[in-house]
Amino acid sequence: MMKYLRLYKAFFKASLVADMEYRANFLTRIVTDIFWYLAQIITFEALFTHTELIGTWNVLQMRVFLGVLFVVDAFYMIMFSENLDKFSDKVRKGEMDLLLAKPVDSQFILSCQRVNTAIFGNLLMGVGWLIFALRGLPDFDALRLLWLLILIPAGLTALYSVRFMFGATAVIFTKSENLQYIWYQVYKLGMRPDHIYFPWLKYVLLTLFPVALVASVPSRAILESPNYGMFLWVVIWSAVLLWLSHKFWHFCLKFYSSASS
Amino acid sequence: MISNLEYRLNFFTDAVIQPFLTALIELTLWIAIFATASSDTIGGFTKDFYLAYALWTAFVGRITASWMYEFRMLEEIDSGSINGLLVRPMSFFEYYLSQLMGYKAITSILSLLVPLLLIQVFKLPTELSRIPMALLLITYYLVLVHSMSFVITSLGFHFNRIYSITTAKNLGLWLLSGELIPLDLLPSPYREWLLMLPFSSAVYVPVAYITGRAGSELLVQGFVSITWGLAFFGVLGFFMWRWGLRKYVGTGA
Repeated sequence: MMKYLRLYKAFFKASLVADMEYRANFLTRIVTDIFWYLAQIITFEALFTHTELIGTWNVLQMRVFLGVLFVVDAFYMIMFSENLDKFSDKVRKGEMDLLLAKPVDSQFILSCQRVNTAIFGNLLMGVGWLIFALRGLPDFDALRLLWLLILIPAGLTALYSVRFMFGATAVIFTKSENLQYIWYQVYKLGMRPDHIYFPWLKYVLLTLFPVALVASVPSRAILESPNYGMFLWVVIWSAVLLWLSHKFWHFCLKFYSSASS
Repeated sequence: MISNLEYRLNFFTDAVIQPFLTALIELTLWIAIFATASSDTIGGFTKDFYLAYALWTAFVGRITASWMYEFRMLEEIDSGSINGLLVRPMSFFEYYLSQLMGYKAITSILSLLVPLLLIQVFKLPTELSRIPMALLLITYYLVLVHSMSFVITSLGFHFNRIYSITTAKNLGLWLLSGELIPLDLLPSPYREWLLMLPFSSAVYVPVAYITGRAGSELLVQGFVSITWGLAFFGVLGFFMWRWGLRKYVGTGA
């Protein structure tokens, strides 16, 4: 475990140096995400000028949902997004050979090698928005925030596992960009509260494509009475998905043939 | 055009699957909003108008967005492969404009079939006779999009790895075009400001015109605003390209 922590620290340092090398890109990435946050906020703020409720939530509750979404999304972007987005490229360009030969778990190195340090600014903005939203809640119980210590890592694990499995298909199909595109669309479903969806779709988003675990379930933990059954499901299911992703990765590796010369 | 059809699955995903899923998300949002709304109308329009808007927006927004060619243009400078294009008897701008228009012509046909079919099935408000003029506006807007891409590409001569600017620009346009929500729902004076900008012609103006939210005066305003947008980005692109070429040393492939 300590070996992997040390390795992650080294990845972090290398990523920070690489990011600072291209400063224009570094700064633009921050600006880009400000646009994304603004887009989400403006959409819901404008909608709530015309209606009091969307689904079962009012504007104050929706602000909390957005805050949780921004925070979880920032963690995902920092830790995994760039690594998993380039999965297909690594397979095609033969960069996997070198990674597979290293004396560490190949799933770990493929998933964590690049840390997106530019997103730390976004994480701060996300946390700032969440604090602002929580302060606006009339009946906010701060103790409920403790649920986030379990639900956010569990949601992230579930999200990572499914995204990794989508990415791992690149080893079998080599060109699997389409599956990656479809993943982005599925992920977008998680950017809206799950209670606006039809029951069957909500069920799919809590199980097969667990993007509802990203923000909807943690937000419910803050805004509504605790649903212990759901929380237990999130923890168990995320552990199962992580295990499945590991199994699936080893299955995919059986199809791997080096692309480098 | 032919080269794009070689990647048929990619093409189908881009033209149909992605906008279809986007439409699904937006439609569920509007159904949820109207399920709990205290009135049958929001901003003067019924649920059917919003469903029609969400459906058309997903597909029109896909047509008017430009990611792929802007990335390719930046890559040409990054990798140095632009050298081969600079010596051709066609300008870089024209070469990529023809590529973009060819691709968009094909995706538009395929993309528009889906909402056309769905509005018939669900009987959503759409004035079919208005579609040709809306398509003309969209085509005109694509020239503006390409002019903006050309300006961003010119920055590639001065900075390395500026792909994030493309993402930032497209997110900005997503916000300004009315793809997220109909611009008429925004409070005054933001609504008026956004309508004056040419970017509203990417989604809001053509979709509002097709679905009957707005009349022909808005369409005319769209053509006018794109024209001054083209003048602005055209002049800016011309000077930035010349400035960039002077700095470019032509190393690479």
